[in-house]
Amino acid sequence: MELKDKLEILADAAKYDASCASSGAPKRDSVDKDGLGATTGMGICHSYTPDGRCVSLLKILLTNFCVYDCQYCVNRRSSNVPRARFTVDEVVKLTQDFYLRNYIDGLFLSSGIIQSSDYTMEQLVEVARRLREDHKFRGYIHLKTIPDADPRLIELAGKYADRLSVNIELPTQDSVTRLAPEKSVHTIKLAMGSIRTKLDEKDDHPKAPVFAPAGQSTQMIVGADASDDQTILNTAQTLYGSYKLKRVYYSAFSPIPQSPSSVPSAPPPLLREHRLYQADFLMRGYGFNAGEILPQSGNLALDIDPKLGWALANREHFPLDLNRADESMIARVPGIGLRSAKRLIDLRRLRRIRWEDLSRLRCSLKKLAPFVVVADYKPAQGMASSELLRRHLADAPEQMNLFPELQAA
Amino acid sequence: MNDDRPADRSAHSFPPAHAPAADPAPADPAQPAAARAGAAGAPAFLAVRLVLARQPLLVASFAEWREAARALLAYEIAPERVTWGSPHGGGDLFTSTPQTDLAQDAAMPAQAGAAPEGGADTAADAVAAGAPDVASLPPLPARTPRPTPHLPRSFMEMLQSAACCRVPDRWAFLYRVIWRWQLGQHDVQSPADEDGARLQAMVKAVRREEHDMHAYIRFRERPEEAGAPRFVAWYEPQHDVLPQVAKHFVNRMGKVSWMIATPDASVLWDGRTLHNAGPLVKGEEELEDGGEALWLTYYRSIFNPARLNTTVMQQHIQSHRWKNLPEGKIVPHMVSEAAMGARKIGQFQAVGQRRGTTIPIAPEAAQPDRQQPSKLDECRRCTLWEFATQAVPGIGPQQAQIMFVGEQPGDQEDLSGQPFIGPAGQLLDRVCANAGVDRETIYVTNAVKHFKWEPRGKRRLHKTPAQQEIEACHYWLDKELAQVNPTVIVALGATALKSVLRTANVTLRNSLGKPMRVGGRWVVTTYHPSYVLRVPSEEAKREAFNIMVDSLKLAHQLLERPLEEPDQQDRLI
Ligand code: SF4
Repeated sequence: MELKDKLEILADAAKYDASCASSGAPKRDSVDKDGLGATTGMGICHSYTPDGRCVSLLKILLTNFCVYDCQYCVNRRSSNVPRARFTVDEVVKLTQDFYLRNYIDGLFLSSGIIQSSDYTMEQLVEVARRLREDHKFRGYIHLKTIPDADPRLIELAGKYADRLSVNIELPTQDSVTRLAPEKSVHTIKLAMGSIRTKLDEKDDHPKAPVFAPAGQSTQMIVGADASDDQTILNTAQTLYGSYKLKRVYYSAFSPIPQSPSSVPSAPPPLLREHRLYQADFLMRGYGFNAGEILPQSGNLALDIDPKLGWALANREHFPLDLNRADESMIARVPGIGLRSAKRLIDLRRLRRIRWEDLSRLRCSLKKLAPFVVVADYKPAQGMASSELLRRHLADAPEQMNLFPELQAA
Repeated sequence: MNDDRPADRSAHSFPPAHAPAADPAPADPAQPAAARAGAAGAPAFLAVRLVLARQPLLVASFAEWREAARALLAYEIAPERVTWGSPHGGGDLFTSTPQTDLAQDAAMPAQAGAAPEGGADTAADAVAAGAPDVASLPPLPARTPRPTPHLPRSFMEMLQSAACCRVPDRWAFLYRVIWRWQLGQHDVQSPADEDGARLQAMVKAVRREEHDMHAYIRFRERPEEAGAPRFVAWYEPQHDVLPQVAKHFVNRMGKVSWMIATPDASVLWDGRTLHNAGPLVKGEEELEDGGEALWLTYYRSIFNPARLNTTVMQQHIQSHRWKNLPEGKIVPHMVSEAAMGARKIGQFQAVGQRRGTTIPIAPEAAQPDRQQPSKLDECRRCTLWEFATQAVPGIGPQQAQIMFVGEQPGDQEDLSGQPFIGPAGQLLDRVCANAGVDRETIYVTNAVKHFKWEPRGKRRLHKTPAQQEIEACHYWLDKELAQVNPTVIVALGATALKSVLRTANVTLRNSLGKPMRVGGRWVVTTYHPSYVLRVPSEEAKREAFNIMVDSLKLAHQLLERPLEEPDQQDRLI
């Protein structure tokens, strides 16, 4: 099979992985050195595809042969898809060729499980090893970790890769048992735990060998099982807290060719995925608790963003005097982001905040109006009910930026 | 994005103590000195004299502007009185400063021919502006110049960045900004201020251009025989960012040679040194490059037609960029194909049409070899398992006579699967050593086998188990007790005590250090090691530690004491 054919099949198979970030690696460069590659710590998106997702890494599978039979996965053993397998050298060369032309910032390598977990992991590690040791490649490398692999292989993977990920895929043990019969939440958690232990070691002993400096991440598929957003967010919170994940990616389930009847035949609304990313950012960036965002079981509202939803449900905190409140509370006002909150605090040291400042800072005036008090403005007496406000503030039903987060990560 | 601009990193104050980087390719020596307000070698405060003579100040670089602005500020010349201009008219400083900085950064001698038109243009402009010679300029006002204001470095960097923005009035605007700053209007750097907002917008535009150039430059490979440069790219930047962008690619490409051509100038990296050249004719993009075909294949395949969302794509890459991106040409086709039907399934058409295979392997054979989780790991008697990594069973000799019962595993224990590792475990070691009891002879376990916690930021905060959970988990403690059959149980802390006595109505205080007989065993109560670690005062710490040591000694003595012996403490038989 020609290289181009393999690429076609193995890139196609990799597109269900939502992760694409290339940030968080330590700064490296290749000035006066053999080999290739630099990282700035920021990560760069080199292109965008018509589905709105960024391309920053060569994201491929080493092979899409797989002995597992995960029902949501296009590569499951019972799936009738064209199969291919790259050689280690092909991936190494492709990565460098793409890198030289400035198409990508590095490699995100994953694989179907072939022969055994250890064998598969060894192959993944070998690609990274060759890139790093034989070719002195200093670009970004993200390896998908096979949870059941020997911890020593995971340790080796962390030596070469900037980021490791172990995908949990489904938010509950029951769903995993049902839809991914060969997987086990238990071993997934253990793998995440062993990665975190290594990361901790590195934090505690700066002289310890390098280990996955860009940390670890995971992915959850949304809409392949019946789990609601509350379950998903709680699982995310558990994972963030327990394993110090950098990111949880949410991937709306894509119906796959000849789907088995165990998974839905229609995708969830993409907007649901978007709301989960927003809620996730509230947890990571703003310090919200999953329980604050969604106190009851169910899904996030689709018509309003989760921060607005929280504010409407917690009217007792508002209106908030922006000339007095602390930064974290200001950031909780709908329409004011983290950056604007910080800028308002900075500005407050110089003078009192006025309505016009909010407009210059490009805050969403319509959203924040009912929630703030500034020097020359306070919301009208007898504020509208939350229900009324919600109707007034709901997002227009339009397609929006579904991945504001993906580039920021 | 990239903050590695060739900025003067030491610029803490405005202007810096040392002379700013001079422009070593300043053009024709015949050029009238007066023409370049801040040019190196020009007498200090020349700019002031030019303004007094109602002459425009022509500056070609940030360094020159900084020199001139310093002089003007020193003599308190208000922005309204100054007319700023660029040597090339349109405010284009492309062929001068950036290259200069670049040349210095790359530690190479400036290429004399690097700015082919710069000199001539500048001279011509200067003449056109009717620059008088210095002697005919009015003298400086007879008074002491004001000391120059100090600017925070971040502000300085902002100004320098904004100076790369191609707007006709950049120098005048920047001067107004620092003029306001030295008047004490420090909100001039805030985006809530009108000028501040513009300043930020300029910085943002420049940063975005840098970022876009880092991201969307596409190199094509030239045939091996053609020699250096091996890779070439064409780009049309909208702001003056080529120097800082070149640095980015120097870092990235190692010893591989490359060239970036733009309409105004080009840079060539030969693998060791950076060379600057004037504008090149476009045309390199006709190059055949096999790598590009693979890239297009990749681009097509990584796209999920089921999620077609062109709005977002367009938001991120401005439309004028697409024409220089190889993938730009195939986008319309991909979009229409996806919209037409391939959209129903996620798979790229070319892949979907191929014959596929299923993998002939029996489900049992696909199961990975894994150690079966213990029964304890499968426990669902309460909900704690869900949030923990694993259950942590006790550890120690199966014939141990003494059993330590703690509360529950902590963060570390949860990850490692072993009880009492980390600081609490070490403290326990010391207690044993002090009591003269071999730690290895003791069985150590917890009342609750899963870690109970609540999220606090990115950490897990220990949370005391509820009586219900203690009750639920007693099932496992009972099994351990039956198996090990210790003579003495040392309950570490209140939770352990509640578990061992199976009641919530006990306090640590009342039972501390008093042996009890429970179900045919001795029970000794003492502190939990983490209490000792946590208690703030040194004295209390020592006291608690000693109580633990005494309790353990007591436990050891109890091994010899027949259980039948009457004991007045014995309330619970
Ligand atoms: S804490 Fe104890 S009872 Fe609760 S699930 Fe874990 S082992 Fe079972």
